[in-house]
Amino acid sequence: MTDEFNTVSEDELHAYVDGQLSQPERERVEAWLERHPARAEEVRQWQAQAAALKSHFASYARSDDGDRTLVATGRAAPKVAPPPRGMLRRVAAGLLIFAAGALTGLYAPAIVAPDRRLQIAEEPETLPRQAQSAFLIYASEVRHPVEVGANEQGHLATWLGKRLDHALRIPDLSAFGFSLVGGRLVPVNGKAGAMLMYEDGTGQRLTVLLGRNTENRETSFRIASQGGVETFYWIDGGIGYAVTGEVPRELLQKVADECYRQFEGSSAS
Amino acid sequence: MSHGRDGQEGSAGTDPTAPDAFEDGVLALMPALRRYSRSLTRSDPDGEDLLQDCVEKVLARRAQWRGVNLRAWAFTIMTNLYRNRHRHRAQHPEVELDDELGLAAAEDNADPLEKLRLERALDRLSAENRSVLMLVVIEGYRYQDVAEMMAIPIGTVMSRLSRARRQLAEAMEDDKVVALRRPK
Repeated sequence: MTDEFNTVSEDELHAYVDGQLSQPERERVEAWLERHPARAEEVRQWQAQAAALKSHFASYARSDDGDRTLVATGRAAPKVAPPPRGMLRRVAAGLLIFAAGALTGLYAPAIVAPDRRLQIAEEPETLPRQAQSAFLIYASEVRHPVEVGANEQGHLATWLGKRLDHALRIPDLSAFGFSLVGGRLVPVNGKAGAMLMYEDGTGQRLTVLLGRNTENRETSFRIASQGGVETFYWIDGGIGYAVTGEVPRELLQKVADECYRQFEGSSAS
Repeated sequence: MSHGRDGQEGSAGTDPTAPDAFEDGVLALMPALRRYSRSLTRSDPDGEDLLQDCVEKVLARRAQWRGVNLRAWAFTIMTNLYRNRHRHRAQHPEVELDDELGLAAAEDNADPLEKLRLERALDRLSAENRSVLMLVVIEGYRYQDVAEMMAIPIGTVMSRLSRARRQLAEAMEDDKVVALRRPK
């Protein structure tokens, strides 16, 4: 009966385990747990887990002889053992990423099967899906997320613009802390499309996808979200645009607005 | 919660953006970064790879550091590197018995079999859930800090933490059964 007025939420149980409660809050949770043995058992399990994790990884919190060199040069000091292992690991990691990309491809038939063009062209809703697949595949790429890097921005704009058959201006998103990583050619609606990738100072990535839209339709701003990946998209003057990222929706919307503004500036002449 | 907050920032009075102070700051963070990187990865070499990539990125981006909380900034960079790499991995977990787990590095006297079970169970967590769990439990970050570092709402932090704890408990339970059958 007192529970009606004195209930404890799941979040509070976690905060209790993680030591993120004040003294009176802690006492309240403890009193509650005494009356709720099943939850108390769960809390004990989480505490045991936390203790096991801390002790398991504690010994890694140490300095290494190579640290100073690593920090001074940005490269690991050459260890006694020759490179093969590290190389193999990187190759293995690359293959894993490639496999992950390929697996994603299974969920994104539009990307690997351009023959679905007709259906896709009639369904503008698939633009965000293609944009999200492209984001998931390429934002996961550590070494080669783009074909042409930001250092060749002029070439990138010309090349992608030509393939897209549309004068392409590469948006400047530095106002939001995102700088251009580069771009690549991707199939969109079964035709050549362009993907631009941006990254902020912490490595958070965004993609901007452009593709021909055969129906030449215009749409307003729309949003699609799937599994935490958000996409803002619109179609304007025969080109579909999609801005995708795993960032807060408000930020993505601002970025999309800015892209719209800058693309608008390039086409209205 | 006091642990894991060591090596915060350069001492007061020094310009934290000066090159030497910056490098000293990173150097002081190396133990915490090494622990975090190993807690996200499945083996010692993988942990060192991630750590190295993170340090490279931190140094390459020093101009973008705003001069506050180097620790949280470096942890965010590592979290993003890890997420970019492993976005899909946990959906297709591979649990290999013979994988090199680098258990030799752990010098405490816990049961090695228990440790192996813990590592295997951790490999079943998604990258998102795993990083939230480690930032909170091992690195001692407050929920609000984790939300800011990962650019997600605090509610998402809580649901990921909850999922991580339950999945970990389940995976450890499953593994008990599997171990009896000695899979090849």
